[in-house]
Amino acid sequence: MMKEVIAFKNTKCECGHQNPVGTVLCEACGRPLEEQDRESNEVLEMRYDGMARRSQRANPNFIDRIWNFFSSVKIAVYMIILTLLGSMLGTIFPQENTFLNIDPSTYYKETYGTAGWIYYKLGLSHTYESWWFILLLVMIGASLVICSLDRVLPLYKALTKQRILKHKQFLTRQRVVYQGPVELESKEWVEQASVHIKKRGYRVHTLDNALLAEKYRFSRWGPYVIHIGLIIFLLAVLARGLPGLHMDQHVAFPEGEIKHIPNTSYYLKNEKFTVEYYSEQDLPKEFQGKNKVLPKLFKTQATLYECTANCNDPSKQPTLKAVDHHNIEVNDPMDYKGLKAYQFDYDLTPVLRSVKPSLVDKKTGKDYGTFQLKIKDPERNYKVGPYSLELKEKYNDFGLDENGQPVTKTPNPNAPAFLFLIKGPNLPAEGVHYFYFPKQIDKERFQQDAINAKMNGGSVPLELDVKGMGNVDLSMSTTYLNIRVDKAMPFVWVGAAIVMLGLILGFYWQHRRIWLRIDDGNLTLGAHTSKNWFGIRREIAAILRKMNLEVDEKSLDNGGNHS
Amino acid sequence: MSGLLNFSSNMFVVAFFLYCAAFILFAVAIMGRRWSNRDPESHRRKWGNIAFGVSSLGLVLELTYFFTRWAGGGHIPVSNMYEFMSFLSMMVMVAFTVVYLIYRKTILGLFAVPITIIIMAYAAVFPQEVQPLIPSLQSYWLKIHVTMAAAGESFFAIAFAAGFMYLLRTVNFSSTDKKDRRQQRWVEIVFFSIILVISFIITVFAFRAAGYESVFTQTKASGTAGQTTSVTQTVEYKLPPIVAPYQSKIESYQPFLGMTKPLFSAPSWMNGINAGRKFNTIIWTVISGIILYGILRLIARKPLGRAASPFLDGIDPDDLDEISYRAIAIGFPIFTLGALIFAMIWAQVAWGRFWGWDPKEVWALICWLFYSAYLHLRLSRGWQGRQSSWLSVLGFLVVMFTLVGVNLVIAGLHSYAGTN
Amino acid sequence: MGKSRKKVQIIILLLIVILGGYAITTQVSGSNGKPTEGSKAPNFDLLGLDGKVHTLDEYKGKALVVNFWGTWCEPCVKEMPALQAQYDKWKDKDVVIVGINAGEDKMAVENFVKQVHVSFPVMLDPEKDAIQSYGISPLPTTFFVSPNGKINKIHLGQLDLQTLDQQIEELVNS
Repeated sequence: MMKEVIAFKNTKCECGHQNPVGTVLCEACGRPLEEQDRESNEVLEMRYDGMARRSQRANPNFIDRIWNFFSSVKIAVYMIILTLLGSMLGTIFPQENTFLNIDPSTYYKETYGTAGWIYYKLGLSHTYESWWFILLLVMIGASLVICSLDRVLPLYKALTKQRILKHKQFLTRQRVVYQGPVELESKEWVEQASVHIKKRGYRVHTLDNALLAEKYRFSRWGPYVIHIGLIIFLLAVLARGLPGLHMDQHVAFPEGEIKHIPNTSYYLKNEKFTVEYYSEQDLPKEFQGKNKVLPKLFKTQATLYECTANCNDPSKQPTLKAVDHHNIEVNDPMDYKGLKAYQFDYDLTPVLRSVKPSLVDKKTGKDYGTFQLKIKDPERNYKVGPYSLELKEKYNDFGLDENGQPVTKTPNPNAPAFLFLIKGPNLPAEGVHYFYFPKQIDKERFQQDAINAKMNGGSVPLELDVKGMGNVDLSMSTTYLNIRVDKAMPFVWVGAAIVMLGLILGFYWQHRRIWLRIDDGNLTLGAHTSKNWFGIRREIAAILRKMNLEVDEKSLDNGGNHS
Repeated sequence: MSGLLNFSSNMFVVAFFLYCAAFILFAVAIMGRRWSNRDPESHRRKWGNIAFGVSSLGLVLELTYFFTRWAGGGHIPVSNMYEFMSFLSMMVMVAFTVVYLIYRKTILGLFAVPITIIIMAYAAVFPQEVQPLIPSLQSYWLKIHVTMAAAGESFFAIAFAAGFMYLLRTVNFSSTDKKDRRQQRWVEIVFFSIILVISFIITVFAFRAAGYESVFTQTKASGTAGQTTSVTQTVEYKLPPIVAPYQSKIESYQPFLGMTKPLFSAPSWMNGINAGRKFNTIIWTVISGIILYGILRLIARKPLGRAASPFLDGIDPDDLDEISYRAIAIGFPIFTLGALIFAMIWAQVAWGRFWGWDPKEVWALICWLFYSAYLHLRLSRGWQGRQSSWLSVLGFLVVMFTLVGVNLVIAGLHSYAGTN
Repeated sequence: MGKSRKKVQIIILLLIVILGGYAITTQVSGSNGKPTEGSKAPNFDLLGLDGKVHTLDEYKGKALVVNFWGTWCEPCVKEMPALQAQYDKWKDKDVVIVGINAGEDKMAVENFVKQVHVSFPVMLDPEKDAIQSYGISPLPTTFFVSPNGKINKIHLGQLDLQTLDQQIEELVNS
């Protein structure tokens, strides 16, 4: 019981106001509450106007202790420093994700020796995905929330219920102080002064012989606005990882083909891909004549289709509707309802799409007609003149395995080969087998004629022949697009914008307050600002000059830089 | 080069010499206070105004350089190291002008103008021709990002100048107390670092004027599953090679001071062709830095910190502290917007990801975290005066590492190489 | 007042723990959205060689082995007999083996299946949708999916008969 009484006594000011535990300066009159503090002449600690922070309590329990830990600026600074140092470590060697295809367990050792090996073993090759780094970020996030909550409410309270008449000690122990006699009657002086102070944009409150002037209070919310922005930013970054909010894939689009974008209802057609280089005279002298090429433009003319029917049924042809057209360039992605396509890479190797060979009599040269042979998903049966061709086998990248059997070496149509069974006049009843290589180079390389002769026990009287390039359909190039969906991005930007707003509020304006009181013809003036003391001194000197008090700006400084 | 670009380069050179003149005039304004038969205050004011006038004229000419190069080159000149560094030097002058107009401290010119001069000279080390832009750089977001970031960083440069001045003003250079000795030593180290940069520039220009060149070739075998392909690269040394690239052959060697071959080879972990050259440059910089520092010490006949501190007599240290903090307070939001937010927007537009933990990005974040820590320490933990001045000095070092060091050291030693 | 403040504190701290825990686990597991062991097997809609459309849901309640393969990929070809043998062994015990071909023509696949005498269901993935959603990079890759639709094991590279048998045993007993 006694103890409680003492605790009460300690936080009760002589002006009669009862302050919460942890208060430094009386919430009402600003008088220091500690006996010791009252005897000192040091400049007052004006942080949060001397209010108790939310977390300061008489008997902290476990929850309070955790709360206090995160509400400490000291801890916050430690966490900032640790994050800073951690980030530095991650830049010593390149991170794993900068390489597309490496085995990190051997790469670091081979490339950077023992140091690289240690780097990898310590997990620094993926610093920014490591648990401790994320934990640091999470703790900074926690600190942002708790620090702000802990301070913004007391500060708000302190600033909304300010007393005009402050304790004299509160004024004389500000960083900017003026004391001196005034000639006018106190009330009149205060009234005249308030006119001049108002002219400088202050809101002025007077009470008999006392005055409180204040401007740009909103600047005090700057830091909290920054913190709110950062929290939104961090949450948005976290939300990006939620399923369905994020997609990131690289897809190859051969020119002229409509291709499905996996796991979406969209299809994209690369109408044309263009790459341009700077001409020799565009290059600076040091590059000229050195065979250096500097790309100028990568452009994919793309059309986006949306599937409207038969979308998830691979047995049917989907119904597509063109929804967007865009010239995708680096720095200028396609953007359709949050689906973004970025120019990523390209390949200028032409890819054979279809050929239109003629069936020719080898001896007479008689042309029986042509048919369209698609490289991908070819038809099975063809009718050319009196002959029927049945496609039996197809190889994308023809080769022979160790048993001499034909196989395809890769899934890419580098060396397509087709095996037909041809039936018709002047051929054996069971038909002849005919291997066809549409590319001339393959025909020679794999000795098409020899194979055919061997298969049929003698030369085949017919031949498939592509007459001229007009019968060849090539896809001239392939563009690689990075297809992305990032639904949380708007929140990232909102967070960043709020941070910026807070920075501007907090740094380009300063909350300034002037208190003054006149006792027996003596003026006592104290002033406080969140920053730019130089400016407030200049302002007060100018105001006092208007009141016929000539003061040197610098003499207003009450010291206090060295706390 | 077109006429406009020529004119632009001339403007750059004239601006450079005007800054040098402004520096000398600022020195006259500060040092001449103690000359006989004059009132120190009116002397300072008069010469200070002249010096500021000259530096402002220099800024006008540098702005002319910038805009004529923009017009002549067809794109805003911030896309290579030369252009970026000269832009940064210009922004430092802008920041200096802003802060000078607020505080009217002549002494600030004595410390801020040399920063511009050094950065300009450093810019001139790099090839100056206008280069056409590769597609990923053709973005106005990039331009906004680079210019804003440089603007923010230039305020940090002013904060550095003011913070360093605060230290020179307040460190007790005559004391032999252990704590004071430590402060003195660190001030000396800052001086030495600045001298290293200057000596690097002097060395490069001296050998460039002499037309020095040696050439090495390096053949590297890269084995991928049975197939070995060997790539031969050549590297031209513009400074006499003390250290040769790792496993390289001399193509041509111009003897220097009786040295006819490199003294040693770069260690294996510096396996890039340019890593050896950069290492060589670092060795040269350190050697010439030590020589230059030694000469200055001989002239001053005392540590440079102690020699410089009398210039600051009579300056109110609190004002310097305030200027340093104010410069950071002005620069921090600009830096955040330019170096982080616009960078993220550009990265999002160009690469589809707003953040990729690329070393340059990480170092921009490190700068930001550093200055956040500075602000928290100052605002909430009362770190003012000496502590915060040291932080502003260190902070600018971090900024310069981000701008220069990351390109030279981190990117250079392992992957692609910059131009110098 | 004191009570509600405490509640607020506890709620905020709890939120931080939950969000933080989520952040750390998702980052550290580092799957980048690809399915991992223990996660749910992604659905697919694919045309089978039988001409019918097959989805993952069809196999609910059965242990499922999904093998991604291509005719050009040698280890894929080599493990086919093992897969076929296991298919024959387990087909009456609610274990299904399916092969998903990575983007080849129907004809090539049909010929191949005939040639190596594969009788387990084979599906075509011409647009590589399933390849994408299963996050396949090397072939072959085999997923062992338990009857409740969870991925029990992911095997990269060629499977031999014995491991395959073991894995299926494990899958059935899980």
